[in-house]
Formats: sequence, C-alpha cells, structure tokens
Amino acid sequence: MKTWQRSLVAVCALLVLFGGVASAQVSDPPSVEFSYTGNRTAVWIVAQLHTLFGAFILGAPIFMVVSEWLGYRKQDIRYDRLAKEVTKVTVILFSMTALTGGLFIFVLLATYPQFTTWFINQFYLVFAVIYPLLFISGTIVLYMYFYMWDAWKGEKKGRHIALGVLLNLICMITMFVINGPTSFMNTPPKAEGISPQEFLLAASLWDKIVNVSWLPLSLHRIDGNLAFGGFVTGMIAAYMYMGAKSQEERAYYDWMGFVGNLIGVGAMLFQPFTGLLYAYEMCDYDFSFCPYMMADQLSMFFEMQGAMIGLMFLASNYYVWLSMKRIEGVEKVRMTILAPIVMVAFLFVMMVVMNYYWIPDPMSLAFLIPLVLAPFLGRFIPYTVSARTVIKVGFLMVIVGDAIWLTPHGFVATGANMVAELELPEQWSILGSMPAKLSAIFTLVFVTVVNYVLYNRAIRQGTIIWGKIDFISQFVLIFLAFSSIWTMGLMGAVRSLVRKYFHTYNLVPDFSAESFTPTLSYSAWWITGITVVFFTVVSFAVIVALRPSDSKGRVPEGNPVPARAK
Amino acid sequence: MGNVIKKLVIGLVVGGALIGLSRALEFPFVFQMMFFGQAMFGAVVFMLLDAPSVRTMSGMKSVIAIVVFYIVLCTVFVSGASMWPQFDPEDEKGKIAKILAPKRAATEQGKAEELIARTKALDERVKALEVRLKALGADQQVAKETPVGGAPPVVAKAATGDFMKIGEEQWQLHECYNCHKLKGEGGKKRGPELDNIGSYLTAEEIKQKIFNPKSFMAEGFEKEWEKGKMPDKFKDVMEDSDATALATWLSTFKNTSVNTPKPIKKL
Repeated sequence: MKTWQRSLVAVCALLVLFGGVASAQVSDPPSVEFSYTGNRTAVWIVAQLHTLFGAFILGAPIFMVVSEWLGYRKQDIRYDRLAKEVTKVTVILFSMTALTGGLFIFVLLATYPQFTTWFINQFYLVFAVIYPLLFISGTIVLYMYFYMWDAWKGEKKGRHIALGVLLNLICMITMFVINGPTSFMNTPPKAEGISPQEFLLAASLWDKIVNVSWLPLSLHRIDGNLAFGGFVTGMIAAYMYMGAKSQEERAYYDWMGFVGNLIGVGAMLFQPFTGLLYAYEMCDYDFSFCPYMMADQLSMFFEMQGAMIGLMFLASNYYVWLSMKRIEGVEKVRMTILAPIVMVAFLFVMMVVMNYYWIPDPMSLAFLIPLVLAPFLGRFIPYTVSARTVIKVGFLMVIVGDAIWLTPHGFVATGANMVAELELPEQWSILGSMPAKLSAIFTLVFVTVVNYVLYNRAIRQGTIIWGKIDFISQFVLIFLAFSSIWTMGLMGAVRSLVRKYFHTYNLVPDFSAESFTPTLSYSAWWITGITVVFFTVVSFAVIVALRPSDSKGRVPEGNPVPARAK
Repeated sequence: MGNVIKKLVIGLVVGGALIGLSRALEFPFVFQMMFFGQAMFGAVVFMLLDAPSVRTMSGMKSVIAIVVFYIVLCTVFVSGASMWPQFDPEDEKGKIAKILAPKRAATEQGKAEELIARTKALDERVKALEVRLKALGADQQVAKETPVGGAPPVVAKAATGDFMKIGEEQWQLHECYNCHKLKGEGGKKRGPELDNIGSYLTAEEIKQKIFNPKSFMAEGFEKEWEKGKMPDKFKDVMEDSDATALATWLSTFKNTSVNTPKPIKKL
C-alpha cells in the first residue's frame, strides 16, 4: 500500500469519525438491527478489532524506539533493522486502526443511537477535538519517523530517536485520553449520598476522565500493549524465519524472535499484578463486581483466563528451553541447589503465609523475600545443579501452579447452581481461595524469572548459534502471539460485561434484549473469529511490508556470533 | 518412542495416585478427573521437552504448517472454553427485564412502547371479536365498529396482594444471596447472615440500610463497613416500593437460633 493510499484510508476514517460526532447531535435517530450477529456482537467485533490494532500501534512504538536506541548505542545494525521492519508494519496497521475506529463509531451510532449521542455529548471535547488531533499528529509523526529513517542517520540519529520519543509521547497521551471514556463506562465518578445522575451533572470533563479505574486500566494497557508488541514482533520474526532463503536471514530472524519474545515475556510478568490492581479498584468501586466476576456469571471466564495464562507461561519457558539447546557450552551452566528447592517450596510456603499475613504486610515479606532471593545467592552454597534440571523443576511447578489456579470452588457457572457433588470439600476450600490463586500466579512469575536469569547466564557463558534453533520454536512464537491476543479479547469481554445491563454503570441502562451475560462458549467463538481476522490482516501487512525483495542487498549478519560479544 | 512411553507411564502413575489421594480426601469425582487430566497434561509437556528436533521447513510446506497450526489453535481454544460449565443466559434475562421495567417505563421510548403494546392488544381483541361475530353472521356491522380506549393496560402493575412475594423476588433479582446467607443458602461470609435480622431491625430500618449502607454496621463487619463493601447503588436501581417489600420480607426473619450479628446504628 502506497503512502497516498494509506493517507486516504486514514482521512476516510477521520471523516467517518467527524461525521459520527456530528450525526450524534441529531436527536433520537432510529437504530438499525444487525441480522445474524445482533447489535451487541456487531459492536463487540468492531470495538475489539479497533482495540487490537490500537494496542499494537501504541505498544510497537515503545518497542521500536528502544530497539533503535539500542542499535545506536551498541552500534549493532540488527536492532536498527528490527526497529525499521516493525515500523513498516506499524505504518500499515496505523491506517487499519483509523479505519476500524471510524467503523466503530459508525456501528455504535447505527445500533445504539441514543446512548452514543449521550456518550459523545459527555466527552464531546475528547471525541470531536482532542482524540482526532492526537490521532492526526500521531500519524504525521509516525510518517516522519518512517520516512526520515535513512535521511537522519549517522550523526543525525539522535534527532531521529527524539522523533521516536515524541511519537511515543503522543501515543501514550492518546491511550490515556481514550481510556477516560472507556473506564468511565465501568466506573463513572460518584459520591456518597448523591445519585450518580446528580453527581454527573456537576462533574467536569476531568472528573469524568479521572474516574477510579482510569489509572489502573491505563497501567494494565501500557503493560499489555508492550507485551502484545513484543509477541507480535516474535510472530513477525517467525513468519520471516520460515520464509527465509538463506542461513544469514534465518540467523537474523531467529535473533529478532528472541528479542521480541524477551520483551513480550518481560512485560507479561507484570500483567497479573496490574490486572489484579485493576480488579481490586473495580471491586472497591462496587463490591458487586467481585462476585459477578469471580463467583458467578463470569467465573468461568476467569477459569479460561487461568488456562490461557498457564499455557502462555509454559510456552515462554519452553522457548527458553529450546533456545538453550542452541547455546554451545550450556552444559557447563549450573545454579545453586537452592533454586529447584525454592521453586518447589515457594507455592506452598506462600499459600500458608498468605493465610495469616496478606502482602505487603511486613511479616509476609519477612518470609517471602529471603525465599525469593535464595536462588540468586548461589556463590555461598557449594552444591549446584545443571541448568537442565532447574528448568525441568520449573516446568513441574508451572504445571502445579496452574493446576491450583484452575481449581474452582465448584464446577458450576454460578454459585446459585452449586451442589455438593460439584463443590470443593469444605476442608479443601483453601484451594479455591485468593491466597491460593495469588500463590499460583507468583509461582508462575517466579519460575519464569529464575529461568530467564539462568538463560542470561547461559548466554554470557556460552555461544549462541543464531539460526540453529529448533524449528518448533517458531510455532511457540506464533502461539504466544495468538494466545496473548486471544486472552486480551477474553479479558476485554469481561471488562465490558462487568457493566451488566448498563451501557454506563448505574447511569444508562441497556434496554435492548441483548443486555444479558453471554455464555463463555459463545464469547470464545467470537473472540477466536476476531483474533483470526486480526491475524489475517497483520499477516497480510507483514507480507506486504517485509516481502523478500525488500531484504535484497542487505548486509548479512554474522553467524555464529559469540554470545559474550553482544 | 521410548521417551513417549516412559512419560506416559509416569503420567498414568501420578494421575492414578492423584485420583486415589483425592478420593481418600473426599474430593468429588469431577475434581478427581481434573487432577488426573492435569497429570496427563504434565506428561505431555515433559514429552515435548525431550522430543527430537523438528526439521526446518520452508516455502509452501511452512505456509501449510502455519495454517494447520492456526486451525488447531482455534479448535482447541473454542472447545476448551466450551468444556467449562456454561452460564445459562435464560436465568438472567427475566431478572434483567424485571429490574429494568420501571426505568424503561419512565423513558420516552418506554412510554411509546407501552402505547404500541396497548394498541397491539386492542387490535388483537378486535380481531378476536371479529372472528366471534363472523361466526354469528354479523361481520358487516363489525367492520365499521372501531373500539376506542377502555382496554386494560398490558403491562400490569405487580399484584399488590402478595407483598412478601415481591420482597423475596427482590432478594433474588438483586442477588443479595451473593453476600448474605439466608435460610442456609448463599453468603460465602462476605456479609452477615440475616435469619434473625427481624429481631434487631424494623422494616423501615432495614430499608434505610439498603438505601444507605453506612447507616448501620453489623458487629464483626467493621472492616467491610469501613471499606463500604455493601454497594450504595440500591437507592438508584431499586424502586421505593420494591425496597419496602424487600425490607418488610426480611423483617419477618426472626430465627434466634441463627447468630445474626447485631447491627449498630451509625447515621
């Protein structure tokens, strides 16, 4: 797609957006009925697609500029090439974000005209002025960033990196701004003793944006977008690795997959915690959200989330396992015997400790911090085990941890249907409690951190043979990207459904016949469909932007390269 | 192959041991099966760890491999999600319609819909009368007669006679059982058990607590009261008459054998 074509798409999308805002001013427009999907699912599809494209174009610039800076600092052209290739894909996806954004407003107006009118009026300045302006300036800076790449190199590289930082700044502000209306729908500002309607009348735009779930949602999304950007980069690398014609190309894309995965996993480690913070704030706002999510209608969505996150942690550790195999001298890498011991003990100790002292109670930290640090104090312990053993024990504990995370209070979709034959025995109800779930999450994170520390040690002590990784690792990269997007869709559905039968919680009821909680199975079908559409578009963008002819004449990367040298 | 058999045997042994152990610890059958499944899943993971390397593919072969992989992923994710117990939306639809009925009726659209519903009902009555009169051979005159007004509204007001039933219905509609135990059902210790609430509070006071959760604090629930665990949304989502019915119904619970914590007046 050429620049003018991309620009045309973006302009059309903005026209739809402006048209939508203007149309929202017409009072009581009639709604349309989407046959087959129904109105709610139609909105769900475009909203989710827009969020996915948006997540990538907001997450990828962080990745791009950091990579470019690393390339400049280390004088390693691979980082620069990686940044440029991701930028090429991002440029195409920027247009898709604008297009789906315009479509989103259009479908919203067509299906829920009264609510959309009310909603746009609440955030008129955001939708009519701030958001379009940010989007236009983001687009301009992105194009400048892309087209100035070759012009601003060498001594002018700093200028180019500064442009990338500016792009990130704009993207970040855009995300914070649009998270205002999004979070407002779940947790509109309120005050004790005043009805939400009365409070809203007196609330300023700032009050509406800075509602209680705005910051936790933004933090969770920054983290999620970065993980998403990393995993999608891994997926791009996997595609290119599979299509590579030479060993040099394979070596480069193996390295690119490694970097993408590293960023993705690094950000993913924080996701459970920012997610918990978000859920905590939601429950604090209205406690009825909590049983609705964890014990009733949406409880099985969280079981599925546990399964997905468990699989993703397994996959990321499996990638480490496969990566270690292509490091020469890995057999010499050893770790203190405390590492496997603590890995096994950690889950159970934490479950017991958290039953008495909640984190961050000083007593809980007094038990847990020495335990967490023990595997890294290797030099004081003479007994060591091989890296292979540590990682295998880690896998065992990821499986056990996920088994505990997945153990429900009962195999029923709502507490109201609970019967003894499907419920955890009373004396084992601890397995379904929050301390058990938190211990499981911490175990997954802890094991992964230990494995990556070990991996880092192996890289420093051995030699990586780039391009020689087991071919199955490319499917692991694709799996991680697909699963992270699928999980994002699942949790996005939870975030929207938690409003129950309201468009905006407690303020604007949804009188349509579709305001009930859908089944997990129905949701999974749509989430899968949306993920497939997104993947198809991204795959197309990768093929268009990075087709082999583009890579002709490129300087081949060294192979193999001593790991120590990087 | 030796690797697969070895891991399979270990998986079966661990899975069997988990079944035996969980049965001895009185876990229901479904949990025993879950533990067995997890042991077998663990075996598959360890098989993968020691599996031989996959040969590098390229060209069309790799494209086909990717497409097949995506199909497998989609199938696994959809079927995995479908295997968990599914919430039945029908359980909720009726509740939502009842909760939102007063709000809908108050809107312009609600009023219009009520008028349309009335018109439709009238139309049906006219048609039914036409059929009856046709049968009597008087259709010529009937065609000219257009009934005007006087039909009973379709959206009937809730029967006033069964006030207690409305109260109990409100308990179910607003899912109070999620936090409060009553008649041995619901609760999960999030809020106080209410079987003896009628001995402490009058219907008016209970209503005050529903509309303003800070007005009373149950003994032993200081933390929950401080944090405002009971949502303060009911004054906005409940009709006054429905809250009165719920409070009146709750005030009839005077089972002194249940240890309902004493409410302390705060506001």
